[in-house]
Amino acid sequence: MKVSVPLSALLALLLLASCAAPSAAGGQSHTVTLLAMDTVMELTASGEGSEAALEEASALIARLESLLSVTDEDSEIYAANHSGGAPVPLSGDTARLLEQALDLCGDIGGALDVTVYPVVRAWGFTTGRYQVPEEDALSGLLQLVDHTRISLEDGVLTVPDGMELDLGAVAKGYTGDRILDLFRSSGVTSALLDLGGNLQTLGAKPDGSPWRIAIQDPVGEGYAGVVEVENKAVITSGGYERYFEEDGVVYWHIIDPATGCPARSGLLSVTIVADSGALGDALSTALFVMGRERAGDYWRSRGGFDFILLGEDGTVTITEGLEDSFSLYGDWSDHELEVIRR
Amino acid sequence: MKSTKFWAVLIAALLAVSLAASFLLLNSRSGSADAAVYQNGELLRTIDLSRVTAPYSFTVDGPAGVNAILVEPGRICVSHADCPDQICVHQGWISNSVVPIVCLPNQLVIQITGSARPNDIDGVTK
Repeated sequence: MKVSVPLSALLALLLLASCAAPSAAGGQSHTVTLLAMDTVMELTASGEGSEAALEEASALIARLESLLSVTDEDSEIYAANHSGGAPVPLSGDTARLLEQALDLCGDIGGALDVTVYPVVRAWGFTTGRYQVPEEDALSGLLQLVDHTRISLEDGVLTVPDGMELDLGAVAKGYTGDRILDLFRSSGVTSALLDLGGNLQTLGAKPDGSPWRIAIQDPVGEGYAGVVEVENKAVITSGGYERYFEEDGVVYWHIIDPATGCPARSGLLSVTIVADSGALGDALSTALFVMGRERAGDYWRSRGGFDFILLGEDGTVTITEGLEDSFSLYGDWSDHELEVIRR
Repeated sequence: MKSTKFWAVLIAALLAVSLAASFLLLNSRSGSADAAVYQNGELLRTIDLSRVTAPYSFTVDGPAGVNAILVEPGRICVSHADCPDQICVHQGWISNSVVPIVCLPNQLVIQITGSARPNDIDGVTK
């Protein structure tokens, strides 16, 4: 039997090419999808060391979740919440995040409170067994909502007996910040993190253009607007994310710490554009509680971030820093757009 | 001892297969939309939505019960679920990679990869 040499050589070459093609066509961008912190996370990184950095990021996420989870009995937060008022030492990450969170609560003055957890649970948002709490039960629980009574000194946390801390409002943003720190030191030059709908970016896209991040239409299927960013976190909070209906009334999961009831400030969603994910995470919740006017006042007094508000009346309000990078989209294209200036 | 003709035909067939394989691999980044179905982090199956001709459905079992998944040409959805919040069912169809369908109680994720996405959006904040 004789098979011609050129033919067999061509065959071998083609088989080899088939093996090599995927890595050649794949380029330098890598993506990891995982389930963590009760949500889906998708991390994309490009540049030197991306693959290794993504693996480290997965491990980092798992570690942070085990420290911060309010329901995991082995977490530090759980320990502090069930210590009967005894002091609990915290590891570096937990302490750092808690300090940031408590500072923000103090700065924001009422619209954000990390001790609102017992109230959120009374509404059933933690279990899915939704219910409208009785008024006196709610007043009782409101006594336990007061971030100023949390003590954090030299990394030791004391949660007064009966009170409960939950860092859920800032945990994903903090995690994103830590992942991007890791990426930067690994040589990654471009990255996009989608942590359960929290978007955080490093640099621009691999082709040099800005990342185009769409804002979910709170009342429709598509998008309300698009903002172009580089090196920014884009984080949204809205009642539409988790809600239930009872006797024709809609109740959502963003609770006003002052009333213990869903915040009804005339907004459908708040999107924050900021350098830090932890800040973006916290402010998106706080500004939803505040409403348009208070949000504008807070921005003027503090600065350091930008926002996009989608109002129940259909009005879109943005801060002047986003004037050139934001545009309305789809069904919201003809809505009124107002720009807030200093 | 097989004839030369037999071997010629066999080699030609192998050649054709590897040519086709190379072609498919090198072009796999354009025009296809693969829906990957994960349960508890494990990939159960990948469906090339661009090659679906007739609708069909299948079920996935999880800790909170069953998800029924409906597949049509170019799109996929969860048509029924035993979970209490029904978020996965309310989400409806997806046909691009921008947003996955997720059923947290059942640890189910349906994620579309491939280039069938609106090419002017990189991510959706929600």
